[in-house]
Amino acid sequence: MTTLDVVRGTAARVADAVKIYGVGGTEVRALDHVTVEFPAGRFTAIMGPSGSGKSTLMHCAAGLDTLTAGTAWIGDTELGSLSDRRLTLLRRERIGFVFQAFNLVPTLTVRENITLPLDLAGAAPDQAWLAALIDVVGLGDRLHHRPSELSGGQQQRVAVARALAGRPQVVFADEPTGNLDSRSGGEVLGLLRRAVDEMGQAVVMVTHDPNAAGYADEALFLADGRLVDRMERPTAGLVLDRMKAFERGRS
Amino acid sequence: MSASAITVRLSLRSLRAHKRRLAGTFLSILLGVSFLTGTMVLGDTLRANFDTLFADANAGTDVVVRSADVLDSPGTAGGVRAPVDSALAERLRAAPGVAAAEPSVQGAGQLVGADGKPIGGQGPPTLAGNWLTDGRLNPYRLAEGRAPAAPGEVVVNRGAAKTGGLHLGSTTVLRTPDPVPVTVVGIATFGASADGMGPSTFTAMTFADAEHYLTPKGAGQASSIQVRAAGGVSQQELVARIVPQLPAGVQAITGTAATRESTQLLSGRFLSMFTTLLLVFAGIALLVATFTIHNTFAIVVAQRSRENALLRALGAVRGQVLGATLAEALTVGALASLGGLLGGIGVAAGLKALFSALGFALPTGGMVISAAAVVLPLLVGTLVAVGSALLPAVRAGRTAPLAALRDTGVDRAAEGRSGTVRVLLGGLLVAAGVPVAVLGATDGPSVLLTAGGALAVLAGVVVLGPVAAAFAVRTLGAPLPRLRGVSGTLARRNAARNPRCTAATASALMIGVAVVTLFTVFGASIKATLDDTVRKSFAGDLAVTTSSFGAGGSGISPKVADALAQLPDVRQTVGLGRGVARIDGHGRVLDVTDPARLAGIVDLGRVDGSLDALGTDGLAVSRSEAEQHGWRLGQSVTVGFADGASGPFTVRALYEGGGLAGDYLITRQAWAPHRGQDADTMVAVGLRSGVSLTAGKAAVQKALAPFGNPQVQDRDEYAASAASGVDMMLSVVYALLALAVLIALLGIANTLTLAVYERTRELGLLRAVGQTRAQLRGIVRWESVLVAAFGTVGGLGLGAFLGWALVKASDSAGTGSFAIPPEQLAVVLAAGLLAGAVAGLRPAGRAARLDVLRAIATE
Repeated sequence: MTTLDVVRGTAARVADAVKIYGVGGTEVRALDHVTVEFPAGRFTAIMGPSGSGKSTLMHCAAGLDTLTAGTAWIGDTELGSLSDRRLTLLRRERIGFVFQAFNLVPTLTVRENITLPLDLAGAAPDQAWLAALIDVVGLGDRLHHRPSELSGGQQQRVAVARALAGRPQVVFADEPTGNLDSRSGGEVLGLLRRAVDEMGQAVVMVTHDPNAAGYADEALFLADGRLVDRMERPTAGLVLDRMKAFERGRS
Repeated sequence: MSASAITVRLSLRSLRAHKRRLAGTFLSILLGVSFLTGTMVLGDTLRANFDTLFADANAGTDVVVRSADVLDSPGTAGGVRAPVDSALAERLRAAPGVAAAEPSVQGAGQLVGADGKPIGGQGPPTLAGNWLTDGRLNPYRLAEGRAPAAPGEVVVNRGAAKTGGLHLGSTTVLRTPDPVPVTVVGIATFGASADGMGPSTFTAMTFADAEHYLTPKGAGQASSIQVRAAGGVSQQELVARIVPQLPAGVQAITGTAATRESTQLLSGRFLSMFTTLLLVFAGIALLVATFTIHNTFAIVVAQRSRENALLRALGAVRGQVLGATLAEALTVGALASLGGLLGGIGVAAGLKALFSALGFALPTGGMVISAAAVVLPLLVGTLVAVGSALLPAVRAGRTAPLAALRDTGVDRAAEGRSGTVRVLLGGLLVAAGVPVAVLGATDGPSVLLTAGGALAVLAGVVVLGPVAAAFAVRTLGAPLPRLRGVSGTLARRNAARNPRCTAATASALMIGVAVVTLFTVFGASIKATLDDTVRKSFAGDLAVTTSSFGAGGSGISPKVADALAQLPDVRQTVGLGRGVARIDGHGRVLDVTDPARLAGIVDLGRVDGSLDALGTDGLAVSRSEAEQHGWRLGQSVTVGFADGASGPFTVRALYEGGGLAGDYLITRQAWAPHRGQDADTMVAVGLRSGVSLTAGKAAVQKALAPFGNPQVQDRDEYAASAASGVDMMLSVVYALLALAVLIALLGIANTLTLAVYERTRELGLLRAVGQTRAQLRGIVRWESVLVAAFGTVGGLGLGAFLGWALVKASDSAGTGSFAIPPEQLAVVLAAGLLAGAVAGLRPAGRAARLDVLRAIATE
């Protein structure tokens, strides 16, 4: 095949990751010796009930938060040794983000939001790439609108376009469909899927929605800060069954 | 797009989106800069106006010949020069290169208007002199009538004629201060068209009349000789030619130098004091503005923390987020400063009108706008905006990227460690400042030390503000829950929930109120001191005075004291005149009087030695002045007079100072040979026992009619009129401070408006569970009142303390009084609370208008 063969290797990984919030009696172990790799050109879903540590894992892997122990890597760059400034530059050059809510700067237009990370870096956008992206997300006629003039699904598609605009090494999506109805959610997930298939993009998505996980190449299951299971080619039904099994096991 | 372009774009976009939130900031900078610009433009304009005035006055004069020696003393502007021999003009006329030379006599002469009231005398000089016959030497031009030719004929300037309702042929009185009956034969303009030389008045007589009425010897003397050069002779050349012909002690200077001297005299004393005063108030206004700006940005940054966090997550470095906030402040600051610049020109015109309305007449003329008056306010306004936004911007830059992912509430957690630092730093400043200020006030006293201490206290109080705010607001608001129920409770808690914000808002008002209080206390203390002086040292029943304020007017005829003494109702009178002499080489003001007649009318306290025996070679000196020089009774000091004479005088009496009489008393007989124009500044009258005040006053007034109707006041009126100057100064100060207070109130309104935005959800919730609009309005309004109360009460306390320190520190003689005027301070308190309620109106209205559903749905 084409793209998948070219981009081999690891987009991001964490090794023996530990994250502890609070001290003493209020100590919470959000990550408990987790080691995981996110391969390039693959769509990985991180699943788990609330409090399982899935968001913490994403934050630490993406350099938004720091680990208590262990290491986190983007490509071959270890994050723990980076200064705040280096980390910031790394985020804008090599990582794309899609958040659950409050994804766009309300005062900027759709187009400005998409090019925001590039503008922050002072880099000139690749116009052909940008045009292709805008075409894929289907917002060509909304480029000069403000986020408040878009529906939630449209806003999230803009966020996806922004995440892809700089051709990052990896895109992290934090519950990207959490605030959307199922149709809009499906559109957003389809977009992420196409990014993986057609552009060879690595995508890591945190979700608790089995349907969303069904779009991924692989699903990782977290519980109580530990990696408890993984599933290749997940479907919504299989994921749901697996999660019910965990619930039973816990109770 | 470059990386900085996105920073600028982000800031401009959020500016446009949050225009209304920054309106308060914009307005405070605009007002402050307007005031600053106005002050500078006014200063430049006045300086230029005066320049032109003096240049016009000397336009045709190439050389001025006058006495070289000038007797200068504290409190007299320009000093006193001895007259020159008027015959010198004759000799100079014959000198080569001289086209014209005329003796000029200049003195004080106040015209009485057609209505019997004196014209002018409220600041600008009322001058009298001879009509210069050489058309080019004389800056005045006849507009109507003719030049004076016979005794009693005068030309008056058009402005004075208009004010006094005088026309050609009018007969009136010129107070020199001896009343001289005069007939107006001409009306003159200053230059081609001006009504006069600025607002001053000028009465021109024949040279013989001028000599007779305005010079002490009555003939042969002139203030100066004005010389005009023949064609082709430069001013310098003419000076060089004239100098060899001059007797010893007489100098010649060019007309240009004379103009420069007059201008510098005015710029150096009056104008620089005037502009410095205004600049201080502009500074206070801008200082107050910094609090408002800082607060606005602190709140805006907090409200925008999710947006900033998103930017940080997407790869904006700290500098970019900080830069975006600063660029916003820079834009607001620069735009507002530009607006302020335009406003300032209007302010300059307004201030000029204000001072005119309050009785300070200033010359007219076009506005002069220097480059400095444009550049400096622009720079200051922009810097104030950027500087005030610096801390919030740094905080914005520090936003953690994770904050974008959490639903961060806008309530900030109470500060922990920085609170301790705050208490320590603020406590240290206050603890150091208070003793320094007290030390400066009591021991020394030293104004500098006190000012340093006062500044430290001020800074300390501002630093401590947030720590004190929660407690103060809770204390001040204690009655609210009982008065206003749940609304009251909520108002009180809201005011206390973000102490840093409440304190910053209140601090602005506190500074404004503190300065108001400071001046109120200072003014009241000066009035108390004046009142005390009159009460202690004026033992008479009536005082005859001319206008109480300024250098204008011509004083009271020295014949008044004797004339009044003849009245059957009058027991005793004494006149007090004023002179300047060099005492042991230092210029000093002397009181010229009949010491023997003082007893029973002017109380000099305990007198050592004898006032009766001063004679023509004796002085009486106040005890404090004598102590300062180490003089005792019998001490011999050298007294040098303006006419050049000098001789030993003996200190024959010591008295309590600080009263009506100054530090030196000299007899009329000793003064007479050396005096210039003879005048009294005040005549004290004692009535015979059994004569009622009303009857005595009527009799005195009647007797004064031929003297041009000087004022007659009883003791209370006299004390009050002495204090009226203070009241006028205070009203000017209040008017100037109104701006700072206005900016502080804008700050309160602004903070509350922002707080309403911030609490949209919470307010919506309250409405949803059944709170009425009126109750909601009440919460916001009462919060506003509480913040204002905190600022006002703090300001009153601080101002009263600083006022006390200043009064004590500036009272080196230790004879002054300190007074706290409770009524006025109560008015300040009430005004502060009321203003707080007014400031809360708009934000309260906004809160009440919130749509319940939208409020709850707000992101």
